[in-house]
Amino acid sequence: MPKCTINGKEVEVKEGATIIEAFKTMSEDIAHYCWHPGLSIAGVCRLCMVDVEGARGPQIACNTVVKDGMVITNQSEQIKDIVRWGMDFHLINHPLDCPICDQAGECGLQEQYMKFGQYDPEMNQQKVKKRKVVDLGERVVLDSERCILCSRCVRFTDEVSKTNELGIFNRGDRSEVGTFKDKPLNNKYSINTVDICPVGALTSKDFRFRQRVWYLKNDDTVCNGCSTGCNVKAYFNEEGLFRVKPVYNEEVNGHWMCDDGRDIYKYVNKEHRLLKAKNNSGSQWSELTAGKAMQELHNSLFAEIKAAPEKTGVVLTGQYTNEEYQAVFATLKELGVTQAFHWNDTDSDDFDGLLIRGDKNPNTKGLQNAASAFGALKSVADAEAAIASGSLETVMVLAPENIAVYSNYDKTFAALSKAKNFVWFGANKTECFETTNSSNTWMIPIKSFVEKSGTFTNHAGLDQTFNYVTTVVAGALTMSEAMTLFKGETLEFDLRAKPMTSMKNNHFTLNRGEL
Amino acid sequence: MSKVPQPSELSNWYLPGILKGLGYTFTNMVKNILNPKKMSTLNYPEEKYKYSARFKGNHILTVKKDGSLRCTACMLCATNCPAQCISITASEHEDPTVEKYPINYEIDILRCVFCGFCEEACPVDAIRMGPEWQTPGLAGADFHYDIKKLAYRANLKGGIQSSVDDKERHEAGI
Ligand code: SF4
Ligand code: SF4
Ligand code: SF4
Ligand code: SF4
Ligand code: FES
Repeated sequence: MPKCTINGKEVEVKEGATIIEAFKTMSEDIAHYCWHPGLSIAGVCRLCMVDVEGARGPQIACNTVVKDGMVITNQSEQIKDIVRWGMDFHLINHPLDCPICDQAGECGLQEQYMKFGQYDPEMNQQKVKKRKVVDLGERVVLDSERCILCSRCVRFTDEVSKTNELGIFNRGDRSEVGTFKDKPLNNKYSINTVDICPVGALTSKDFRFRQRVWYLKNDDTVCNGCSTGCNVKAYFNEEGLFRVKPVYNEEVNGHWMCDDGRDIYKYVNKEHRLLKAKNNSGSQWSELTAGKAMQELHNSLFAEIKAAPEKTGVVLTGQYTNEEYQAVFATLKELGVTQAFHWNDTDSDDFDGLLIRGDKNPNTKGLQNAASAFGALKSVADAEAAIASGSLETVMVLAPENIAVYSNYDKTFAALSKAKNFVWFGANKTECFETTNSSNTWMIPIKSFVEKSGTFTNHAGLDQTFNYVTTVVAGALTMSEAMTLFKGETLEFDLRAKPMTSMKNNHFTLNRGEL
Repeated sequence: MSKVPQPSELSNWYLPGILKGLGYTFTNMVKNILNPKKMSTLNYPEEKYKYSARFKGNHILTVKKDGSLRCTACMLCATNCPAQCISITASEHEDPTVEKYPINYEIDILRCVFCGFCEEACPVDAIRMGPEWQTPGLAGADFHYDIKKLAYRANLKGGIQSSVDDKERHEAGI
């Protein structure tokens, strides 16, 4: 393993590692735009210049392999000058749209200008004007004036999504990023180009102008969009959640995530949520708090179920955490209930070769693992049949959070609600709730995945633990809490404010290379 | 160092204190009757003080040449505002040369401390502090100034024009 000296400090790196990677392992600052750890090396921005002792002249760090004994620095006056004026060239035609640019606040130009630039521009020519607000496709908008032609996005569609939509057209200062004949950029991973674009040239249609990034906090969690379980970061403030970005995890998703996963924040926001528990034991709905509802359920149903457990069943979906499944199965055991059903509208093994999987539940594996100790899970069709035949009178449903991927949601709801006692645990509300067929319906608001800590087991059996991010519906319970109350026990709360240990600053602002 | 004058021992007593106070009142009354021009108070609201034209009072949102709002909804003013009394909702403009504009801009003027930081933060001269300072209202809602009030209130006569013009800048190659 070669050893080298970087800015006076010695470091050992992997065989074949480049100088910029050595800088990154040392957490030393180095200017760069085109290098990205998940893409091939382009060497086009020429900002990552370093002095290597004994070399002919300054070298680019991203495309020079570390040799044993190399002495490298980017602190010399000459290098600082090169970077400063290299930056001036990048910004010659840049419109400085920062007030209306969505990237402002997490922009590579803004940050690196403050770190390495700080010059007075010496350009006195007119700027070259290019196309603005180009609709690139379903999810991305291009502003080619802001583009610095780093080619990251082009390399992404070339190497990662392998869809090759983007290219750089024309020459010299007329060069422009675009799609051939303005064909749309509609691949399943297109928003990744927005993430890796170091400037505001590519912006996400969904997020455009909704918030300024400095109003948002973020925290890590796991995507619940499919069984891959990409590591993500949710951006939120007191108004709710606004976007999701991927977090690097070699084992799961690398640097990327899919476009469908970007929508997972939507059904978490308040307007889609069940805010209070609801009860309908007759013809009218009444609202009450979730805790009170669980207590009443304990009083009215617990003993009844215990007396005749064979008439009770639980329908589970793969959208809850392992801890919650354990709590549910423990309660079932205590009650003597043996019938558990698995509801999954997206039961498939499809895989697109990169990230997207056919099973749209984050924790089907976890559910199967938890159930293996309990006994075989029957399908939801069996539950519907048993209800129709009258052999099942009480049904508890752990409804899915991500309703969009459950194509038979309404139908299943209608069929299951024919049970005499119908208890629906769920995070979301939909219209079909109004027309329940049961004479004793209970709706209990459950916390969404960003509001609780827990573990998802992904398709490969990898356990991924995630932490609480933020609270959206304060009155909701986790399934574990609901089960505790259902058993007639009380919940223990630690009401002291907890320090937010995992809260980080905007990682895109501070650590551009690790995008 | 300034020294707070301590009242003398005598003023702890009722009569000396009251007589001294009345003496002060009478001296000033006589002075004001003999020379009313030197009086330091006004008969507000019949008489009004004339502030300089640069007085920083109620906000004005400036307009472009075509009369539309100059503000680009960048939220720098709202970010800079120490009283956090500016709320803006941005939206995509159908004209791509405008791109972003506020569909809602509101200042809670009762919370505003008239510091002028918003004016300083604005990159396009879209918000200014105007010379108005007499702005009573009857209900709480009268103090939530919206776009209509901030940019187009009657005494602005159709709006104050901003000094930054996108078209001119574009043509100048900036
Ligand atoms: S890309 Fe960066 S520097 Fe350029 S306008 Fe956007 S925020 Fe400003
Ligand atoms: S659009 Fe962004 S990522 Fe693509 S070349 Fe331009 S600056 Fe680089
Ligand atoms: S004057 Fe100061 S307090 Fe008032 S809106 Fe402007 S920034 Fe806020
Ligand atoms: S008034 Fe100025 S600073 Fe405030 S949002 Fe509008 S353009 Fe930005
Ligand atoms: S040339 Fe090395 S990062 Fe661009």
